[in-house]
Amino acid sequence: MMLNPSDGLPDDRKSLYPQSQSSAYKCGDKTSPISVILVSSGSRGNKLLFRYPYQKVAECPSSLSAKQRNPYVLNTSGDELDDQDGDSRFSDIVLSTILATKSDMCGKKFELKIDNVRFVGHPTLLQHPPIIQVSKTDPSPKREMPTMILFNVVFALRANADPSVISCMHNLSRRIAIALQHEERRCQYLTREAKLMLAVQEEITTTETDGSPQSPFRQILPKCKLARDLKEAYDSLCTTGVVRLHINDWLEVSFCLPHKIHRIGDTYIPPEALERSLKAIRPYHALLLLENEKTLLSQLPLDCSPALIRLIKTCSAVKNLQQLAQDADLALLQIFQIAAHLVYWGKAIIIYPLCENNVYMLSPHANICLYSPLAEQFARQFPGHDLPSMLAKFSLPVSLAEFRNPLEAPTQEFAALLVNQAQLIQMVVWMLQRRLLIQLHTYVCLLVPPSEDEPGLRDEDPPLAARVGGRSLSTPSALSFGSPTSSDDMTLTSPSMENSSAELLTGGDSPLNKRMTETLLASLSEHERQFILNIPAAQNPEDLRMFARLLHYFRGHHHLEEIMYNENMRRSQLKTLFDKFRSVLVVTNHEDPIISIFQSPMD
Amino acid sequence: MGKKLIGCPVCIEHKKYSRNALLFNLGLVCDARTNTCSLEPIVKKLSGYLTTLELESGFISKEESKQKLLPIMSTLLEDLNATGACTLPIDESNTIHLKLIQLRKDPPIVQEYDVPVFTQCKDHFIKSQWDLTTQQILPYIDGFRHIQKISAEADVELNLVRIAVQNLLYYGVVTLVSIFQYSNVYCTTPKVQSLIDDKSIQEECLNYVTKQGQKRASLRDVFQLYCGLSPGTTVRDLCSRYSQQLQRVDERRLIQFGLMKCLIRRLQKYPVKVIRDERSRPPRLYTGCHSYDEICCKTGITYQELDERLENDPNIVVCWK
Repeated sequence: MMLNPSDGLPDDRKSLYPQSQSSAYKCGDKTSPISVILVSSGSRGNKLLFRYPYQKVAECPSSLSAKQRNPYVLNTSGDELDDQDGDSRFSDIVLSTILATKSDMCGKKFELKIDNVRFVGHPTLLQHPPIIQVSKTDPSPKREMPTMILFNVVFALRANADPSVISCMHNLSRRIAIALQHEERRCQYLTREAKLMLAVQEEITTTETDGSPQSPFRQILPKCKLARDLKEAYDSLCTTGVVRLHINDWLEVSFCLPHKIHRIGDTYIPPEALERSLKAIRPYHALLLLENEKTLLSQLPLDCSPALIRLIKTCSAVKNLQQLAQDADLALLQIFQIAAHLVYWGKAIIIYPLCENNVYMLSPHANICLYSPLAEQFARQFPGHDLPSMLAKFSLPVSLAEFRNPLEAPTQEFAALLVNQAQLIQMVVWMLQRRLLIQLHTYVCLLVPPSEDEPGLRDEDPPLAARVGGRSLSTPSALSFGSPTSSDDMTLTSPSMENSSAELLTGGDSPLNKRMTETLLASLSEHERQFILNIPAAQNPEDLRMFARLLHYFRGHHHLEEIMYNENMRRSQLKTLFDKFRSVLVVTNHEDPIISIFQSPMD
Repeated sequence: MGKKLIGCPVCIEHKKYSRNALLFNLGLVCDARTNTCSLEPIVKKLSGYLTTLELESGFISKEESKQKLLPIMSTLLEDLNATGACTLPIDESNTIHLKLIQLRKDPPIVQEYDVPVFTQCKDHFIKSQWDLTTQQILPYIDGFRHIQKISAEADVELNLVRIAVQNLLYYGVVTLVSIFQYSNVYCTTPKVQSLIDDKSIQEECLNYVTKQGQKRASLRDVFQLYCGLSPGTTVRDLCSRYSQQLQRVDERRLIQFGLMKCLIRRLQKYPVKVIRDERSRPPRLYTGCHSYDEICCKTGITYQELDERLENDPNIVVCWK
């Protein structure tokens, strides 16, 4: 329990602004819908077919007068928990009028905001009349033409919902509409369900004998599959954010709300940031599943792509995406796309593959509370170890290798640690899955000390980062959702061939090599070049050549492991080089901004 | 269409009207993609004004006064688009003033161990525009005093100071950083590279951190100093290691700027009592939810004292994050 510094004073004195206490949807969660409504428009006018949650039954007048009304008593019975933002003000008739649009608005996004409620939907036109097969032997008169012209599945949201939430809800509305339109064409499913719903509504209004009005929608639920589907959609959106419906037990509609899935603590990762991150992943990254392989496989639909199954079975925290492509026998681009798909659905995150030299540190957003549910889970999973002690070991950045070799351990604590390697890997994976750890990488930047005599001129020169255009080291072909694949970009063979300047011949101080080095150093200013050439290490042509070749990485945006991967070099080689040229290079360690979004939300 | 319509329809029922009711709606047409939350109060206010005018003098139903609507509407459109505010004279006795108020995000709760620092020059402040509490605490906001200290020195109650600073935070006048001590530990964030990439941040930084009266510090020195901050290194260590670079740089302002622009972040210590025997009480403060800063503020003991107490306790582990 947190100590309250101002014991005795009411809580609201600390802040003028309402702080969201919990993300329960009752308390005004901005990402949950308020209700779901189905309306239709046809030759019989506009009808509200179904809405959920149904309005609370109004108090009947007879019971009101029976009570002794004390004039000084505040009428609190009328105020619902979320009435301020609720849509209970809108009666069924009003809703059917405003939400059932004209046919010219069909096929487009529909958005209407009234005070605190925002309605979003996708009105859909039903092709009419559909061809009715009349059997030649059937003597009965022609069946009645369906009277529905259009329908609209509408979600009511809170007015201050994020634009990305609104467009996601519109997406869901559209998907349901497509499924319903298809089923209507095939077997008049929607007309049948609508008839049922209207029949129940009429029945209820005509049989109000005991004076207590019932909500007709409550009665519709057990009779109508579509109503149950809409209710399920609403419930899922409010809780998990994952919707899976089977319209008419036939067509599957699946949808996920990224704002509910990608939550860290109280904040969510906005989908645009997620997309940006996914577009920037590289073949040396790895895919870490957030769930057990078996659980994940059981969640997949029966007709899912076999490539997806293969990927899930072969992926591992120590394998990078390129290795995964080889092991699963899939093209790299396909791996990227499937990985992005799994990440979007909250089933996996992108990390750097686990290896001994990885350096991990506690994430600033990690929950290290003694009584957190994570601590309990950890104790169950790894008996004999407790989470806070383990987390304390990552207070200082530590590499996995240090755990193994007590002689290299920074403190006595490590020497006393009795954790075997396999269990350590499991623990680290467990902590990464729960966003407790971040990985630190080394970044290097070229900054030549300014010349003493011309300080003015020095400041004019933009640093190397701004000048060197740099080669684009992005993933092969645009990784946009739904973009067609091009067969040219299917495989990435040896990365070092493509991106490195391996055209520099090794060995020998040939004039060709010298010229190459000069060209590479040409992007530097005269002062910078002179300074670099005066460094003792630069006298060694091999070292100078390596330095010149890697010059474009020294902008502070490429970490050590990336340079290793692209240039096919060893860590020790690079570290030695950095050390030799330390008078012009500045080195720092921090997390990789591309994938750090998975461990900490954007500010 | 690509457009958004904002309106507030009004219905006035009265027998004098031709259909026993007058319905009108003054709306704004905007581009569909823009954020129009701040226009809604204006539309509402206008509809309220017009309703009152109609009820008082039949402004809308009478033909002569109805003609005045056209110039009013064009003034509204031009002025709102130009300056965000407009004054609409209706007749000799009535004028409508409208202003676009930008809606901002709710600011976080201000804790007593937070330090407010001005984001712009303090002299740009017009003190008289602010409330009395804010005016009283203004001189004590120097980027180094934390809330508890400000409250003590300005003689203002703690929660009032918190609310006043939260108000300043809402308007973007101040931002919050953590208490500065030489024993603090910081580390770089990926944003530190913006010091190299972004010329404006560079300029701002070098101007901010250079010691008074000295030649401007070089970018290399400042960048090296920031990169020298890492877990395990205190500010004291930094000062001794990089004394040459610190000749022209004020380390306190260096840290302050780094925190304000999120180039660096503070690593706080959180003690957790992991082992305890059955008889002792459950830990109140050593749960991993309270940092050293918070504990010291609440209990009044100093950092060193707390360190000494906890270092010798084998049941407590300390996490840095």
